[in-house]
Amino acid sequence: MKRRQIAVVAGAATVLGLLTAVASTAARPDDDPVRLAATPEGGVRVVGLPCLPSSFQLGMTNAGTADLYADVELAAGGPVVLDRRLVSSWLPAWDPDHTVTARIGVTVPLDAEPGSYEVRATTDGAEVTVPVEVLPQPPKGDGANLALGEQAVASSTHANFDVCGAVDGNTDSEQWDTLTGWNDGTSGVFPDTYDVTLAAPASISRVETWTLDSTRYPAARYGLRDFDVQVRAGGAWQTVDEVRGNTAGRVTSTFAPVTADAVRIVGLASNNRDYSRLIEVEVFTS
Amino acid sequence: MTGDHNPFRGLRLDAIDATRRRFLTVTGAAMGLAVVGSLPGLASADGSAVELTQLPEYPFALGVASGDPLSDSVVLWTRLAPRPLEPFGGLGPRPVMVLWQVAEDPDFRRVVRSGSARARREESYSVHVDVQGLRPWREYWYRFRVGRHVSPVGRTRTAPAPGDSPQALRFAFASCQAYWEGFYTAYRDLAAHEHDVVFHLGDYLYEYGVGVGAGVRQQQLPADTLRETVTLDEYRSRYALYKLDADLQAAHASAPWIVTMDDHEVENNWADEIPEGNTPTPTRNEFLVRRANAFRAWWEHMPVRLSQQPIGPDVQLYRRFQYGDLVRFNLMDTRQYRDDQAAGDGSDSPNPGSLDPNRTITGAEQERWLLDGFAERSARWEVLAHQTAIAQLDTRAGADVIVPMDTWDGYVASRQRVLGGAAERGVRNLVSIAGDLHRSVVSELKADYADPAAPVIGTEFVGTSISSGRDGMDNDEGGLTILAENPHVKFSNFQRGYVRVEVTPERWLADYRVVDRVTVPDGTVSTRTLLAVEDGDPSIHVVGGQA
Repeated sequence: MKRRQIAVVAGAATVLGLLTAVASTAARPDDDPVRLAATPEGGVRVVGLPCLPSSFQLGMTNAGTADLYADVELAAGGPVVLDRRLVSSWLPAWDPDHTVTARIGVTVPLDAEPGSYEVRATTDGAEVTVPVEVLPQPPKGDGANLALGEQAVASSTHANFDVCGAVDGNTDSEQWDTLTGWNDGTSGVFPDTYDVTLAAPASISRVETWTLDSTRYPAARYGLRDFDVQVRAGGAWQTVDEVRGNTAGRVTSTFAPVTADAVRIVGLASNNRDYSRLIEVEVFTS
Repeated sequence: MTGDHNPFRGLRLDAIDATRRRFLTVTGAAMGLAVVGSLPGLASADGSAVELTQLPEYPFALGVASGDPLSDSVVLWTRLAPRPLEPFGGLGPRPVMVLWQVAEDPDFRRVVRSGSARARREESYSVHVDVQGLRPWREYWYRFRVGRHVSPVGRTRTAPAPGDSPQALRFAFASCQAYWEGFYTAYRDLAAHEHDVVFHLGDYLYEYGVGVGAGVRQQQLPADTLRETVTLDEYRSRYALYKLDADLQAAHASAPWIVTMDDHEVENNWADEIPEGNTPTPTRNEFLVRRANAFRAWWEHMPVRLSQQPIGPDVQLYRRFQYGDLVRFNLMDTRQYRDDQAAGDGSDSPNPGSLDPNRTITGAEQERWLLDGFAERSARWEVLAHQTAIAQLDTRAGADVIVPMDTWDGYVASRQRVLGGAAERGVRNLVSIAGDLHRSVVSELKADYADPAAPVIGTEFVGTSISSGRDGMDNDEGGLTILAENPHVKFSNFQRGYVRVEVTPERWLADYRVVDRVTVPDGTVSTRTLLAVEDGDPSIHVVGGQA
């Protein structure tokens, strides 16, 4: 019952902790026990694609002897946009030190000027600066995945998932979580649609559909079983492949080249009949 | 009330401020520490500790509340938040002085208590005023003010004096209000009735993101509402979102609330120091920090006393409320001290884990507190107000018995000890009220469901959800199975709603209010059934409503 002892100590110390926090803004900033850090240390690289968010981990450590609550405020320079401006947390004065982490999403608009910018995180008496490098748009010529980072829209998205999860360039099912895949939001209700709008109309002839297929969640039990691949040509959706009875994690659909400005996966059934789950959708010219 | 009526006429800000400063000086350092952590003279150089006495924007967007009524006191609550979904509710770093008044009439002609409180960033600019010296078993009205901004008026009511014999108690209980799954029409109905007190039995907030468009609400909300809550700012902001609902605000303003918490105020199906299987905070340390953040935000947003303020990852939730010799409520905590769910959680047949005599859902200390309380036999109706069903609920048609591992079915020894303990101590009328299931289930309670001859010891009224689970229906397949497989279950319904109860010395009468639809605004609320329990006889009788 080690935690009980910690709690008792904290009980006596909480008031002091608050006092320290207040006082440190005034005369004794060196006394502030909070240490801030960002991971990766080298900073963040981000591209102005609509559906390709970048991120860093903010680390907050209480190096003092009293538990406290800290507010860390975040501000970004230039075109950089953060998905949150504040991280507040209880920071225990555990021994050894415990670092509380929070993911900070970083994006830039399509027209962001490539260059170096920074994000600043501050709390009473502590600060960390995170370099942000805005990269030029990647070329999307022959052989490139045209769906990478482009705007995705879904019929619904489960509350714990991000609609961009299936165009983030990550095809690793073992990292299935709220960030690298897409899961629809209506259990047991089909069809579900997942659309990716391309940056510009292109002649396409291949779509790679990656559905959930990990050691814990094999495709044969959790993946998409029946789905259609559609492309939007001249404003109308047309079906270019019908996949039925699938049990694999990756399905390649090849078809006669067609000039399209969007691709849609229509989920008709999953192997356990609840949700449509996509790890990645890739679109190629050949 | 006329347009130019100044509800705080006669209250002079400067006079109050002077009084308060004098008060701080007289009461000394300890008081200063407890209240703010900034003693007079320690104000910071940038002036950030200097108190504001007015705000440019209306700060009472989250409404008002009162709670934890005693015979001579009640807690008044508000949180200043001019822009509730922005960081710090849109307020700068400086504390804000909030004035409050308590009156014997809704027009505030007879103000009996007033004062000021300091709203500080460290507490999300929430205010918890523990008003003392009130008269027992009577109504009061209260309001707050910052500068020219006056809050809505709330109605509250104290408990009877100890030893009094009230003729009747009228209360309501509610639970489970997923924001994106339904409108809070049930709360509008609750607010339209007069209650002496209202209980919230948990899942006031869900940690899950509300989804793009916030489900049935069809609202465009800031991106942080899509995230699962983990950090303190996220829990604070999610409470602000829920509390923006006008029907919920009306329900809070209509009566004092007594609030506990279940799992989703932290995370689905957590147990003591153990998070659920699929969690963003998998380690013990990560989970304890998250628990501390969740508890802190809960305290900041609930009308509870300082004694319920968490200390890091620990909070004292279980406590008692006495309504004379008529009813005693034992508000319980079956999350913080429970053993991990048996058989990997989910549903299972009774198994070595769920039947293990050493496992507990209450923890040893709370169980002792309950049993010692039973022995006092202080009231005619002894109520367990808590999270989830005590009664056995076989959810599988046929010979197999499949029961949920998260309810008391997963902690059979706790059920035997608590119910058996009540019987041994001669509790006259034991009644359990709970939520969690998102369905109404009314049962006779037995210490041992494996023994068909075991006596009925009490009754249980599980109330459905306010909104979680969307519209539902009168009885789904699960409800029909529960009715068919559990002879001790006397009523089941799978719509959304809440429960009103009238207790007299002779009878407990439960009114199950259900909403026809919660996925659209302005659904219709009606009484689905009226169920009675007579004094001294733990059997359940249908006395009204639909058959």
